[in-house]
Amino acid sequence: MKILLVDDEEKFVMMLAKRLRMRKIEADYVSTGQQALEKIKHQRYDIAVLDVKMPKIGGIELKHKLNERVPDLKIIFLTGHASKADYDAAAQEDTLFLSKPVKIENLVKILHQLKNQ
Amino acid sequence: MNHDDQFCGYEDLAFFGKINAGISHELKNKLAVISETAGLMDDVLEMSKKPGKKQLETIVTCCKTIVEEVNRGFGVVKHMNSFSHSVDDLFTEVNLTETVALMVHITGFLSDACKVDVNSQPEFGPMVYTCPFRLQNLLYHCFVFAFKSAGLNGRIDVSITKDDDGAGRVAFSYALSQPCAPFASEDTKKIAASINAEIHIADDCRGFEILIPRLKEH
Repeated sequence: MKILLVDDEEKFVMMLAKRLRMRKIEADYVSTGQQALEKIKHQRYDIAVLDVKMPKIGGIELKHKLNERVPDLKIIFLTGHASKADYDAAAQEDTLFLSKPVKIENLVKILHQLKNQ
Repeated sequence: MNHDDQFCGYEDLAFFGKINAGISHELKNKLAVISETAGLMDDVLEMSKKPGKKQLETIVTCCKTIVEEVNRGFGVVKHMNSFSHSVDDLFTEVNLTETVALMVHITGFLSDACKVDVNSQPEFGPMVYTCPFRLQNLLYHCFVFAFKSAGLNGRIDVSITKDDDGAGRVAFSYALSQPCAPFASEDTKKIAASINAEIHIADDCRGFEILIPRLKEH
């Protein structure tokens, strides 16, 4: 399984990617939506884990842009503390919404479940 | 100052909520980094029980990250504390430069914040007698508008000066990234009016200035 982590808190995604790799999940990370769009041009991912609040391209807009290019790319939102408007917008997207911090074993379980759906 | 005004009552509360939401989001980000770093250390220590695994370097990096994030967290808490204490006195002597610096930090948590350079004359700030909470709210509106006007890759220059009569001036200037509605909104004008502040717009729309008078001491 190969996943892409996108969060403007770069240290967070770097640590998370390392921990996922230790659990035999191939994980790349980037810190902007623009970098994520570049990354998917060259790499094939099963799942993208997106922060909601990011400068320039927010998570919800990024989901649309990623799915325009890779329709079968599965998406999870993972955020610190979104506003009610963000939660509502994410709910409309019919996308799994996780709140930081997330236990690594739970995240691994969710990733495997989503991959096998 | 119409302190019983229904608009200002709601606006004050909304402003307090907005700032606290931003700060708590920022703190949660720091804690998330610390949590993942501690988790990674735990993973590495678990792995090191197996023979032939030397992970000391990763542990050292993790410790450094935790210390850095804790320090960043302390910085956020310090600003949160300063902001929270701004409601201690309805009116008080306020250091304009310190207040602008605090709002630069707090608005820096916004996702559309851009680079801000502050220049103050005198360096340690003109003092004005005003309502600190409303002044912060007004400055917050100013920064939010300036961020939108300057764009994410833009830069805002803020200049703080003092008039001979004791009033303080805060001037915002930037290059416009896109056509914007003229500053300021009705809500911003109401907040400014509540502390008798005046808003002056630059002719070329590339900035504005707020004049904060010394209110009469009670």
